[in-house]
This record gives sequence, structure tokens and C-alpha cells, in this order.
Amino acid sequence: MRLVTIFATLSLVFAAACGDDNNQTPKDAPPPVDSTVATPDADCFDITNVAAPTHDQIINACTTATKIYKTEKPPLLNPDGSLPPLPQ
Amino acid sequence: MRRLLLIIPFVAALAPRDAAAAPCTDLPNPVYVQAGDTQTNLLKRLGRALRDNTSNPMSLIFLPSGSCTNIDAIYSRVPITANMQFVPSMAEDPAWTPSSPTIACTPPAGGVVPDIANSALFNSACTSSPPPATVAMHQGPVQAYVMAVPKASSQKAITFEEAYFVFGFGMAGMVAPWTDETNMFIRTITKSTLLAWAANITVPGDMWKGVRRDASSMVVSDLMTSPNPESAIGILGVEVYDGLRDKLSVLAYRGKGQYAAYFPDSSFESRDKRNVRDGHYTVWSPTIWMETLDANGQPVSARAHYIINLLTGKTATPEPQFPGNQTMIDLIAAVGLVPDCAMGVNRKFEGGPLELYKPAESCVCSYESRVDQTSCATCPAGTCSNGGVCRAGFCEVQ
Repeated sequence: MRLVTIFATLSLVFAAACGDDNNQTPKDAPPPVDSTVATPDADCFDITNVAAPTHDQIINACTTATKIYKTEKPPLLNPDGSLPPLPQ
Repeated sequence: MRRLLLIIPFVAALAPRDAAAAPCTDLPNPVYVQAGDTQTNLLKRLGRALRDNTSNPMSLIFLPSGSCTNIDAIYSRVPITANMQFVPSMAEDPAWTPSSPTIACTPPAGGVVPDIANSALFNSACTSSPPPATVAMHQGPVQAYVMAVPKASSQKAITFEEAYFVFGFGMAGMVAPWTDETNMFIRTITKSTLLAWAANITVPGDMWKGVRRDASSMVVSDLMTSPNPESAIGILGVEVYDGLRDKLSVLAYRGKGQYAAYFPDSSFESRDKRNVRDGHYTVWSPTIWMETLDANGQPVSARAHYIINLLTGKTATPEPQFPGNQTMIDLIAAVGLVPDCAMGVNRKFEGGPLELYKPAESCVCSYESRVDQTSCATCPAGTCSNGGVCRAGFCEVQ
């Protein structure tokens, strides 16, 4: 009986640790909409020792500042993520 | 009605007392300044300090106007004919505070060409013409621009892409909740607030959707009185927003190619402008201060040059002796601007790419001590052990 209990417990632990193969969220997706984080995240550039970081590295440099993530896309955004021209 | 009652004190504080305006020339040592209306809070504080500057007292008399209009005024020497504003000295009104109204005065007959003109963004965003040889340009404090919403709005952030559709397409952009063009409050085409945002979201200023307002105070009033606060949005200079944090909320902004949205400050509540200084908040411009030169390339007005030196962090002689031992960093930090010497990034044109920046004489520690807590070491003169430079009581990095 004790062995069964241990087996069942371990099964639950492993099941909880496994990812969901059907999860639609990309592996590098940021946290959900409007979550705020006050610690450096993994998805950032450490520019501490970079002499001349690029613009993109500067604006995405690691920081402890509050971050707000928005994942929803505007309905008119092109499928490739580009912007359509402005209406005349 | 209740909303109207709430904004009356705010509007009253912005409007100069105009009754029986006296001639501006009656004021001692006048200096005429035409500046962006986002600079009003700074000019009020500096004006008060200069009135009571025991080493070099003068009267800063200013007219708020659009940056592009101001550039043209000094490039083309267009005289100011409208009533101007000034603040009283301690002796004239000891109870005056920066939230008190200014006082109106009438310019000299025929008008007066400003001694100093201010653009609150790169001049190149207004005109492709280079300045005449008789105009000198100086880079002053940095100002961020924000998108603000009413306190009752639940919105927290806006992205580059959303802003492109909201202000470039209006209702047709279908970005909820900002789909009501009558509830989107923007500025007219000569204003730095519009042009700075235009450069950053790649929507030319003349193509913006929304209600165009001539003054920041009108945008504030619109936001505070909107019958539908959730869909209301407006653009402001951070200097204006910082004075109204109890009435409006700033949206975090995610720039093009950025992973997250950031506030100008390191958090919604703080006032450290850390994200402006390190490049995480991308919508900012240097303020440009212009003066007229003579045929020998020397400033025409010594008083104007003195004020510009103060604003741009250069040595001003005689050293200012402001009441309460205030410094220029105190005045600049108090209104939400960032002195150039506290910046860690720079750019060459409006909305242009950021690069790291090291000012010749850093004031990061001094600045942070005014707006937040600083981790910098304090020092008696010459005792920095970390290789830094002791300046104003702090070990600055250079």
C-alpha cells in the first residue's frame, strides 16, 4: 500500500512538471498581457560590458524597472507583423 | 459639474493674471523668452529664482508658444506683440508658489524679438533650414513625452503598433478602447508634443486623427472631463503630466522592436526618469535654447546668455545665488526634466536611434539624490576613492 502511495505521488509530480505539447504559446513568448515584473528578465541584453550597444540592445537591456507586456496584436497589422500604409 | 469644479483651480493656475497688465519694461533687467508651453513649469520656477538671484537678479518674461513658431521667431526675428508672463519676486509676493498664476505684462510698443527662443525638440523636426549665422543653439534638459489617460481608465500601456493605428487610422484602426476620435486629444502641428510623438510612431503630424488642441492645458482639461474615460487618451509633455499625477495616469510605451512597455520612470509611482536616462523609454527630445549673436559671433544679450548657461549646465558667471541655496538641478529635476549631465543615452534627430552617452561632467548622483535615493558615495572635496570625481558632495563617475 505504501509503495502504491509513493508511486502515485511521483506520477503526479512528474505530470505537473511536464509541458503541454498542445500549448499554443511560443517558447520565447513574454508573460501574459499586463503582467508587471520588477526584476530583470531572461529576455534582455546585458550591455554592462558592451562598448557600443545597438539601439535594439539599449532599449531591450536588462533592467529592474517595471515592465508591462502586451501580446494582443492590432487587427489591421499585416500577417508578417509589418504596418500597412496610412490612409490618405 | 463636479469635474468642471475640479479643473477650475488647475486652469486658473495656468492662466496669467491679466487685469491691468503693466508694461514689461517696468520690470528690472528684463529677458524676453518665447518657449514651448511644456516649459512653463520650469520657467516659472527659474523666473522666481532669477528675480531673487542675489548675485545677478533679472526678470524672466516669457510667452508660451509652439516650438516651430518659436524657432521661426528667432530665425526670422518676429516680434512678440501678445501679452507676456512673469512671476513676482519674494518682495512682491512672498506667498507665491510655482502652482500660483503668473502675472501678465505688455511688451514694448511694436513688439519685442525674443532674447531666447526655445524648441522642445530637435529643430530639424520643424524646419530643414539651418539656423542663421546670428543664432546660436544650445542643448538643454531632456523632456519625455507621454500618452496620458484619465484616472478612471483601466489602460496601462500602449505599443508602437497600437499608437500607429490609433492616431494614424483613428476609428478605422480598431484598437480598443481607443476608437473614438472625439476622445483622442492631440496638439496642433507646430507643437513639440505632437511632432516628437509623430517621429516616434511614424505618423506624420499632419495625418494624426483626433481633436487638435492649441495648449497642453486644454488636453488636460479634455482628459479630466471626458464622459468616457476608458476610451480617452491624450499626448502631453512629461513636465505637464508630472504636475498632475493625481489627476491623470501615464501609459507605459513599448517602442518599435522593444520587448516590453516602460514608463518614463522606473515604475508608475517613481519620479526618477530612469527609463528616459537609460533608453528604455524612447519618446524624448532635448530642449533647444537659442540666442541671437552679433556680427562677431558674441551673444547680443549677456543676460540671455547667462540664462542659457544655467539651462544647459554650463558655467554661469557670477555663480547664481538662488533663495534656499537652490541649484539648477533642483529646478530642473523638480519639474520632471532631466539635465543633460544625467543622461546615459543620446540621439541625433527626433525619434532617431539611441546610443550610449557619457556627459563630460556627470551629475547622475546629484540628480538621483533629488528624485530618488542614490547609491553614490558622498564625499568631501577630493576624497573619492573609487576613481570618481567629487562634485556637489557626490562621487560622480566622471
